[in-house]
Amino acid sequence: MTYSLDTKSMSQLRGARWSGLSPTVYALGLTSLLTDISSEMVTSILPLYLVFALQLSPLQVGLLDAVYQGAAAAARLAGGWCADRWQRHKQVAASGYGLSAACKLGWLAAGSSWPALSAVMAADRVGKGIRTAPRDALISLSSEPSRVGLAFGVHRAFDSAGALLGPLVAFAILAALPEAYDVIFVASFCIALAGLAALLLLVRNPTASATAAARPTFAQAMGLLRIKRLRSVLIAASLLGLATVADPFFYLLLQRSAALPVAWFPLLFLGTALTYLALAVPAGKLADRIGRGRVILLGHALLLAACLCLLASQQHKLWGALALALLGAYYACTDGVLMAAISAWLPAELRASGFAMITTATGLSRLVGSALFGVLWQTWSLQTAVTVFAVALALALLLTARTWIRLEHLP
Amino acid sequence: VTVIASPSPARVLAFLGVAIACIGAAGAYAWWAAQQRAKVAAAITRTEKPLQSLPAAPYLLLRVTGPGASHGRVALESLGASDGVRSVSTMNCDRVHAASSGAGRGICLEAKRGALTSYHAHLFDSNLRKTASFDLAGAPSRTRMSADGTLAATTVFVSGHSYSAPGFSTRTSIIDAQAGRMIVADLEAFAVVKDGQPFKAADFNFWGVTFTPDAKGFYATLQTDGRQWLVQGDVAQQRMTVIAPNVECPSLSPDGQRIAFKRRVVPAPQGRVVWQLVVRELASGTETVLARETRNVDDQVEWIDNREIVYSLPDEATPAATNTFALAIDGSSAPRLLAPLAYSPAVVR
Repeated sequence: MTYSLDTKSMSQLRGARWSGLSPTVYALGLTSLLTDISSEMVTSILPLYLVFALQLSPLQVGLLDAVYQGAAAAARLAGGWCADRWQRHKQVAASGYGLSAACKLGWLAAGSSWPALSAVMAADRVGKGIRTAPRDALISLSSEPSRVGLAFGVHRAFDSAGALLGPLVAFAILAALPEAYDVIFVASFCIALAGLAALLLLVRNPTASATAAARPTFAQAMGLLRIKRLRSVLIAASLLGLATVADPFFYLLLQRSAALPVAWFPLLFLGTALTYLALAVPAGKLADRIGRGRVILLGHALLLAACLCLLASQQHKLWGALALALLGAYYACTDGVLMAAISAWLPAELRASGFAMITTATGLSRLVGSALFGVLWQTWSLQTAVTVFAVALALALLLTARTWIRLEHLP
Repeated sequence: VTVIASPSPARVLAFLGVAIACIGAAGAYAWWAAQQRAKVAAAITRTEKPLQSLPAAPYLLLRVTGPGASHGRVALESLGASDGVRSVSTMNCDRVHAASSGAGRGICLEAKRGALTSYHAHLFDSNLRKTASFDLAGAPSRTRMSADGTLAATTVFVSGHSYSAPGFSTRTSIIDAQAGRMIVADLEAFAVVKDGQPFKAADFNFWGVTFTPDAKGFYATLQTDGRQWLVQGDVAQQRMTVIAPNVECPSLSPDGQRIAFKRRVVPAPQGRVVWQLVVRELASGTETVLARETRNVDDQVEWIDNREIVYSLPDEATPAATNTFALAIDGSSAPRLLAPLAYSPAVVR
């Protein structure tokens, strides 16, 4: 059921809801919260499951990573375009959420067969790839343009809260029923279904008259690349992505250079995740006020500061703690804000395609960056690699600063 | 006129209904699984007794698997358990190994499961008291004590945050068990020689240490560039020599004459890795496949004596449970069940 409202009663309605965000944003937040609890439950116990329950050596797990990344990128683009083509964002996103939910039972069905386990892993990532762009399009299409930054901030806060809760739920189950991995997979599946229900029952496709009848063609989607501002952002974001130190490397160097006890390793992720959770909403608000491009620029400056703290963490552990907080702040200032930034000039009927393009561009450039980082690490050392990346990030910041600062006024 | 997408009360109620049904279904499954576990636990063929201290050798030390109340505890059986008695300690270990001599020292690798799972190695004495502890970098994989109880080795999987992190790696450490201190935290610090030349790469991974009877040397697996090698190491000289390809998780016989190991085999059509048990004569380099074991043994085997080995295999019916089998290396007989619902067998002789 939808309510048709004139502008006067709409503003009254907004007053009643916190910060005037559409209920759709909260419904999508709930979907992501439940989905992330479900997926992080599995992710957090997967090494234990493979090693202790299946008695497998996980050395082979990383092998197909590049293939999965490619499949996920293709799924992301396909998901974005299909959502636009049929103007069925909710349904396309639901197919992605549904696929990932099915994968939770797939882990049980796969047993200890490597090809089956790999297939489940790949399907899970394809599901994630399919749903991301249509979901972000729903957030942006159901938000007032001046508050899109806040809308993404709220959604990302729900999302990271789910990621924090998932491991707690999983280990509460393991504490009650030792080695009951089957119970974890079934519970994870049930929670994923609840997330899917939140999407299907509480979210409606935006029915603005401008887009309802549109059936954009593939050529029109590719035509997005003719928008000069989008091209500038794609290039600027890719440049920054190339110079981004991937999380696993970041944590590894921090643990080594600050000489932290290895038992603290999981706490590192917690530090970053908590900062991200705390700052996602303020960063979104800030982006709406001072300009999204500026907040993205700020975010990458924080990442540069995080790299410098990382290098200084040999001197004192406090620098390491600061590096983690800065990494979380970097995520808060960039992940959702980038979507908010480009949604301003993406046509409504091609929004999911545009989002898919930008996430694919940043994802692939980070992948190339990680490969380069690996080469530097193998040839010299982790320290050298981070130093080179910090310099490269500083250069990329200088090169792209103009684009980000003038983002809202770009021709 | 703008249309705001807002869920009707009926839809909100429907969602709440589905959410409650989902939680109920998860709870029902958990209850059913707990019942199933209790049934299997009732069928265990061993009489359990408390274990306070380690007796005189020989005996079999193991980790209890399966759904029973003693799950995860270290337990002791006479070799072959003809009496059907299993003495169970209160110590939780994911991997365990021990030596008979001196104070009867042993090593226990533990995964303290929690939202922030942490991993530890504990040295323990003959009264099962922990004498020293070390933090480990990841999930325990292998552990061994030297026969005289002076040295211990651990291998763990070092993992990133998730399975999507770029690959897993292993870390192998050697511990001075008498002093309770680390000799080398990462075997990558030792020099490696191959064909008389220094051998070094950033992707070196070591696992599966087995000590020589004199507790001065060891054998282990080195993986680099997708290939696995048998290396022979010297603890005092801090160096290793590559001696043969395609050897994983070596285990030296008590007389030091041969090693039993698992070999990686990839049958062409499926492309799935399977393991084969092989025994290598160190003097001649002759390798014999133990063809009487046709199942997929992914374990570092242990020797009962110079003629028989033991190892664990997943139970076919019970999830996350393993059974321990013994096999004669001369191929004269089929594998025999040595201890049901047992993992990480350690023969203390």
